[in-house]
Amino acid sequence: MKILIVEDEPKTGDYLKQGLTEAGFVADLVRNGSDGLHSALTEDYDLVILDVMLPGIDGWAVLAGIRRSGKDVCVLFLTARDHVDDRVKGLELGADDYLVKPFAFSELLARVRTLLRRGAKVSAADFLEVSNLHLDLMRRRVTREGKRIDLTAKEFALLELLLRRQGEVLPRSLIASQVWDMNFDSDTNVIEVAMRRLRAKVDDDFEPKLIRTVRGMGYVLETPDCA
Amino acid sequence: MIRKRSITVALTLLFAGASTVVLLALGFVISSSVEKHFEEQDMEVLAAKMKLTRHTLERFTMASDLNQITQPLNDALVGHHGLDLIVYEQKGASVYSTQSATFPKELVTMNAVNRPNKPFTWQAGGQSYRGIADVVQIGTGTGRKMIVATSINIMHHLAFMQSFVHTLWAFVAAAAALSGLLGWAAVRRGLLPLRTMREQAQVVTAQQLNRRLKMDAVPVELEDLAQSLNDMLARLEEAFERLSDFSSDIAHELRTPVSNLMTETQVALTRVRSAEEYRNILESNAEEFDHMARMISDMLLLAKSENSLVASNCSQITLAIEVTALFDYYDAVAEEKGLRLILEGDAMVNADKTMLRRAIGNVLSNAIRHSAPNTSLRVRISEGAGQVTMQIANTGDMIPPEYLERIFDRFFRLDTARQRSDGTGLGLAIARSIIMAHGGTVSASSAGDVTTFFIKLPLI
Repeated sequence: MKILIVEDEPKTGDYLKQGLTEAGFVADLVRNGSDGLHSALTEDYDLVILDVMLPGIDGWAVLAGIRRSGKDVCVLFLTARDHVDDRVKGLELGADDYLVKPFAFSELLARVRTLLRRGAKVSAADFLEVSNLHLDLMRRRVTREGKRIDLTAKEFALLELLLRRQGEVLPRSLIASQVWDMNFDSDTNVIEVAMRRLRAKVDDDFEPKLIRTVRGMGYVLETPDCA
Repeated sequence: MIRKRSITVALTLLFAGASTVVLLALGFVISSSVEKHFEEQDMEVLAAKMKLTRHTLERFTMASDLNQITQPLNDALVGHHGLDLIVYEQKGASVYSTQSATFPKELVTMNAVNRPNKPFTWQAGGQSYRGIADVVQIGTGTGRKMIVATSINIMHHLAFMQSFVHTLWAFVAAAAALSGLLGWAAVRRGLLPLRTMREQAQVVTAQQLNRRLKMDAVPVELEDLAQSLNDMLARLEEAFERLSDFSSDIAHELRTPVSNLMTETQVALTRVRSAEEYRNILESNAEEFDHMARMISDMLLLAKSENSLVASNCSQITLAIEVTALFDYYDAVAEEKGLRLILEGDAMVNADKTMLRRAIGNVLSNAIRHSAPNTSLRVRISEGAGQVTMQIANTGDMIPPEYLERIFDRFFRLDTARQRSDGTGLGLAIARSIIMAHGGTVSASSAGDVTTFFIKLPLI
């Protein structure tokens, strides 16, 4: 998967490139609008991460240029101003998603993966499996090492989310939004508690431990050997 | 270009105009009654003369006697200067006429036949006359008819009227100018308090927003205006203070995490450490950064909601559904504490769903956090008096009355020792400003061990 980063702020550009490369993507970085537009049009990228405030040609113009060319590429734009106008403008110009600075890198990674997955077929499997954990999506049933685990509906939804996106660090805000449809950061440790309870049921009595807390970032479900 | 209206000019013109109209009307009444008086005077003289002439003529019987008529008519006219008389047959020569008579015969005949003894006027030889005419029978039984007309020179009346009107015009013009001048002076004097107010207002600056207009020097009519201006100043002062408090709050709240990060990183860099230690430091930093990022976005939201920018996407919301969803969200936390979450009642409101969820969620999570273990938390929704009331009651420590209002302030924490352990300290402030942006209010009461939050929203 190839990603183009158009970002003029040196540190942000560098860490985006490093982070995305280490997450397994091929990431290119350009530092101004005209280079960005040129690269986006001449090379085949799956996704463009576009800063709106750019010297020379700004992000809006780059976005408009990409859309005019008819090139089928996802665009996620970054803005420092959380104005409704900005968001509306970006989405109207044909962007697929946006993030407001400052954002957590795990959040960006989650959005990027969602966008790149959008094109692919959604797995219509009836089962999800990792290691010795088994999810029966049709019958809403969880087993581990063949033993039945009782989960509440929300715990099941939480586990399903972790399983579908195994290996990804999921930030709390994304979990709250996906599982409970709460699009705000609660000042109560809701996600921590929910996660702790889920782990008590799914991980405590079993090996290997699948769910891991990544301090300051979120939660990830993965088999330890591929960590 | 539209010129701005000046009160002084407008009132001056109004005074001058009003006095002109009044004086002109008065002048018209006076001149027309003087003229009427002159006419009545003339008519009296003319009618008397006509009567005398009629009597004289009626005493004659013979046609031949007509020549003798001159003498008695001359006698009748003696002593009347400017008075003329004419007697003539309808289709014939004059029987009698005074020397200065200027009667236009056609006009006289027409008036004698159609409007007997009614006044009419004419001009001849540069003079004006008023006269009356009639048809008179000579003697009795003769059947002969004569036309008789008398007239009076009204030139002196006209001259008088003309000079009267001239004088009147001059007077009206002078009076209008004078009242305009007086009006101007009065208005200038009357508006003096406004200039005083302006001078007082001019010294108000950002540093001196506590200044107010002096109410004792303000006339009754301007009291409302001065009061409104003072109220505006009070609101500005409050907003300004809030803004500068906001800035200093931000600086203050960011100082702690920034200094933590700085110290931690600097200490870490003083010597070489193991990968595990670096990892720990970075993770701790990541938590700190996460906290700061949340605080910044909360601050931005607060700034937006205080400017009422968050109630833009309103729809009809069923409160019970929202509260149930939030109960679901906080379920795990509540269960850990052994809390029972209870919902009673329902109502519809018009609100921005995401924002309303956030506001209620913040109040709810605050209530959960301050609940004593193994108690119940009750949300009761009711309608009445044009508003929807949501009561969120939890059992726990009492909030001292003096803090009931302050708990909605930014960064206010009842328990200073617990600072930063949970959230940004902006939850209730955000809740209040979101609810206020929707035209509602939030308040709290605390009695015994039960604390109740009241969210009131306008009924749809």
